Amino acid sequence: MSPLHQIGEAIRELLLKIPLSAARGLFLLFLAGLLVWVLTLPRSETSPAGSEPGKVRLSEKLKFWAAVSLVLQILIYLLL
Amino acid sequence: MAGSLNWIDYAVLVVYLVGTMLIGFRLSRNITTGRDLFLAGKTLPWWAVGFSLVATDIGGTDIIGVGGAAYVHGLAVGNFEWIGCVPAMIIAAFVFIPLFWRAGVYTIPEFLERRYNASVRSALAICWFVFMACNLGIMLFASARMLNVLFGWDPIFAILLTAILVGIYTYSGGLAAVVYTDVLQCIIMIGGCLLVLVLGLNDVGGISGLVEKIRAVEAAQRPAGAAVPEMLEHTRLILPVDTASPFPWTGILFGLGLILGPAYWIGNQAIVQRALGARSEFEAKASYVWGALLKNIIPLIVAVPGLIALAKFPDLAKGDDAVPTLVARMLPMGLRGLFLAAFMAALMSSVDSYLNSAATLLTNDLYKRFLRPNSTDEHILRIGRIVTVVLIVWGIFFALLLGRIESSGIYAIFQTLMAFFQGPALAVLIAGILWRRATGAGALVGFIGGVGCTVTLFTLNHQAIYSRIGWQPLFKIAEPFLYFSIWGFLVALLLVIAVSLLTRPEPEEKIAGLVYRWREKKAA
Repeated sequence: MSPLHQIGEAIRELLLKIPLSAARGLFLLFLAGLLVWVLTLPRSETSPAGSEPGKVRLSEKLKFWAAVSLVLQILIYLLL
Repeated sequence: MAGSLNWIDYAVLVVYLVGTMLIGFRLSRNITTGRDLFLAGKTLPWWAVGFSLVATDIGGTDIIGVGGAAYVHGLAVGNFEWIGCVPAMIIAAFVFIPLFWRAGVYTIPEFLERRYNASVRSALAICWFVFMACNLGIMLFASARMLNVLFGWDPIFAILLTAILVGIYTYSGGLAAVVYTDVLQCIIMIGGCLLVLVLGLNDVGGISGLVEKIRAVEAAQRPAGAAVPEMLEHTRLILPVDTASPFPWTGILFGLGLILGPAYWIGNQAIVQRALGARSEFEAKASYVWGALLKNIIPLIVAVPGLIALAKFPDLAKGDDAVPTLVARMLPMGLRGLFLAAFMAALMSSVDSYLNSAATLLTNDLYKRFLRPNSTDEHILRIGRIVTVVLIVWGIFFALLLGRIESSGIYAIFQTLMAFFQGPALAVLIAGILWRRATGAGALVGFIGGVGCTVTLFTLNHQAIYSRIGWQPLFKIAEPFLYFSIWGFLVALLLVIAVSLLTRPEPEEKIAGLVYRWREKKAA
């Protein structure tokens, strides 16, 4: 066993101890963290330049559509 | 399935091809400068770029290969379209794409020269150019072989037909033709695959019928006495670390979700270039968000048909037979033509993008940068078109060469080659955009060190090498390219940080507008 194998084996043994339910939790945590970040983005970053608050069309609300994408992902990784 | 097409099927294909060429010719009228050829004059709307992002990502071989992988390994292959794409596209939309678009660059290597130096630009440009030029031949060859197996087409005819048609509209219409033909190609691709999905689900008794049939197949394949798992193996997205498939959850989350996915959507010139041609910064962001929404449905239409094939034909010799068998046995005449059009659409939408982007890299990052820095935009248009022709001839030559040497593993080898430099390239890009202290020297050492690491791991994991030095393989899963990318990324990032801290910081005026401003975002 080379040092590379020993390092790899140690990491592998460690990862094997993580149950699949916890692994699923990590996937969901990653997606949920991203969702929170998207929801906290300033409006200027997610709507057309110079647009007035309240006058942005639904199709131009990037925060909304990005959140929809991530919620779909969360549901997919929750169910499958 | 070979030879099972009739004139209605071919009529459907001809209508699609004629439509594609008409779009290409219509757009060629607007091309007068290099900027028009490579960035569509920055006139592209978000919806077209979004469709194009998805169409470029799904190649002809993916239509068959993803369904085949689902047949063998299950729905876990869908991770490549879900966790491997959606989060990366959302992050790219709000952090990276706005910076690239605002910088007004043609290519990612050009951005890296502004942020770091010419050496980093050259290293990345050469890696991407060589990969893209070779990938042109590989895509043409792999798809021609599939067209031969599926429809009995002569491979040389398939290579020439695809290359010439794509070459004509990419030469004349540039990025605009690529993107607008991608819109048509994406719609046909989704429509053709959706047809297979709907008819297939109907045939197996809906979703519940599909689940029951897969349960029966798994029970029949399970060794006597083995425990019955809680969930069906073939419908799981998250597989254990010691899975026999190439998709353990660790590789999927850390290798694909955190490294290869972002590297592809943020650093791949063929992908990012269309967003650089968007008509505003907002539309560039919107295109990625729209693409991410579309990505949510892609595994359903390309992977689930593989599961349907498993339910209906569990004894096929190999996974890649799954979707063709399903199409041959289930689709009536005429609708098979729609599937053929979908396959051609997926193929052409990828080849045209790689052709246009490879031409952009060679013209902009090598010719203009080092040979003719003062050339006019009209001259760049001429050179860009010449390079496009040379590349398509090269693609045909390389595809024919691959056909002569009959190397069946060449596609997998080039995917592994991409994993060699994608992780290190992402480390350089992320460090440059998110960390003001990253320096040119750090980026160059990090990139070279990261590539060196992945090449070393690949070499030590190769049977001929490890058996010669009396070692065991370093990785226990088949095709561990996801793990190569993790280590390549980590080593590159550590080297970028270490060398940057030891070298003089880049001047503030040089990196202004090229680095993500954390504090301003928070204040806003």
